[in-house]
Amino acid sequence: MAKQNGKKHEYHEEHLHIGIPGYFLVFLALVVGTIITYVVALKDLDWIFPGANTLVALSIAFAKMSLVVLYFMHVRWQSNLIWLTALGGFFWLAIMFAFTMQDYLTRSVIGR
Amino acid sequence: MADTHKHYHQPGLQHQFENMEQQQESATIGMWMFLVQEIMFFGGLFTVYLVFRSRYPMAFAAGSNHLDAFLGGLNTLVLIVSSFTMALTVYYAQKSNRTMQVVMILLTMFFGSVFLGVKVIEYGDKYNHGLIPVSGWNKKTPIQPEIAKSSDSLIETKVSAKETIHADEGTHSEKSQVGHDSHHEKPYYNPTGEFQWNYGGEDLVMMAKEAGYLTEAEKIGYFDPITKEFDPNRFRDKVRIFYWIYFAMTGLHALHMVVGLMIMSWLLLKAIQGTFSAEYYSPVEISGLYWHFVDIVWIFLFPLLYLLGRHFLHGGGH
Repeated sequence: MAKQNGKKHEYHEEHLHIGIPGYFLVFLALVVGTIITYVVALKDLDWIFPGANTLVALSIAFAKMSLVVLYFMHVRWQSNLIWLTALGGFFWLAIMFAFTMQDYLTRSVIGR
Repeated sequence: MADTHKHYHQPGLQHQFENMEQQQESATIGMWMFLVQEIMFFGGLFTVYLVFRSRYPMAFAAGSNHLDAFLGGLNTLVLIVSSFTMALTVYYAQKSNRTMQVVMILLTMFFGSVFLGVKVIEYGDKYNHGLIPVSGWNKKTPIQPEIAKSSDSLIETKVSAKETIHADEGTHSEKSQVGHDSHHEKPYYNPTGEFQWNYGGEDLVMMAKEAGYLTEAEKIGYFDPITKEFDPNRFRDKVRIFYWIYFAMTGLHALHMVVGLMIMSWLLLKAIQGTFSAEYYSPVEISGLYWHFVDIVWIFLFPLLYLLGRHFLHGGGH
């Protein structure tokens, strides 16, 4: 999305980003996402597979986070360096989760 | 550096930067570096959550179901509104509109304060229900009379009998000490101020047991090793872990909100003085990044803490 190093000289035309209507749309999407999260959490989705509720809730949270990061935090219009920094943060977080859980989930329960 | 001369000198430009874009990007990347640290900071707590929830999902569900999901959801919306007004603050700063900047900062601060107010109400409820996971902090908490008779969950009962069995559980050491001073004559008070749990969960565990959902850790963690029956004391200790995580995560988040409000107060002062304009609004942009980050943390905390076991209560889609 919108890697725009070549467009730096247009900065002052671009820096208002999406304007009030755009921000309002993002805001509405976030509100709708919150309501869907709440409503879906009351439904039992375990018939799909155990823990499906959590997966749905986290997917919506992830989508909401992406909206906030891309539009409210303006990352969508930022340089590659800032994209790299932001994605790097989540990449290291993923490493922490993955390496911790590959240990815990494969331990015998006896040591607890 | 000869080519710098072709830029006209903008009033907000510090001399060490080539141009406004570079200055703006430097400030933004510095803030993002800080936010990456914050991601890892909260990430540590999310890892703790992940580890313990993967071991004791049913205790987490029981603990979560006692939280007020309506207030949690309300707070999510409040924070989203404050993020919206924060985004508009940046927008109006870019348009050099001082009045609307001030209005939007005030609105952001208002919604931030509402969030903290709701949080205080929630913490108060937890305190009144004896759910502070620290020994000695629940001394004044009355135990609900209707469940006091099934006082397995009270520490004073049965503890001495179980001392030997619980040798493998570290959390029981403090209870072993208090088990001897008997307070049976005062059933409505929790003499050691220990975390109490009078809100069920056995039905949830039994349902999961029948459905075959119990994790290996739960098969040991919720049941008496001798009688093989559901043990409320052991179950309570697992719920206590959930409440520790709840308070640690929401507490750290609330602390970030307080810091955010301080930043906003400073921003308000500067905005009133007319500091920010289309030429120079980095502080607004950067404060916005912080505010939105705190919002994002809550976007994950809400489903993970408040909603994780709701479907067991309302569902029935089997």
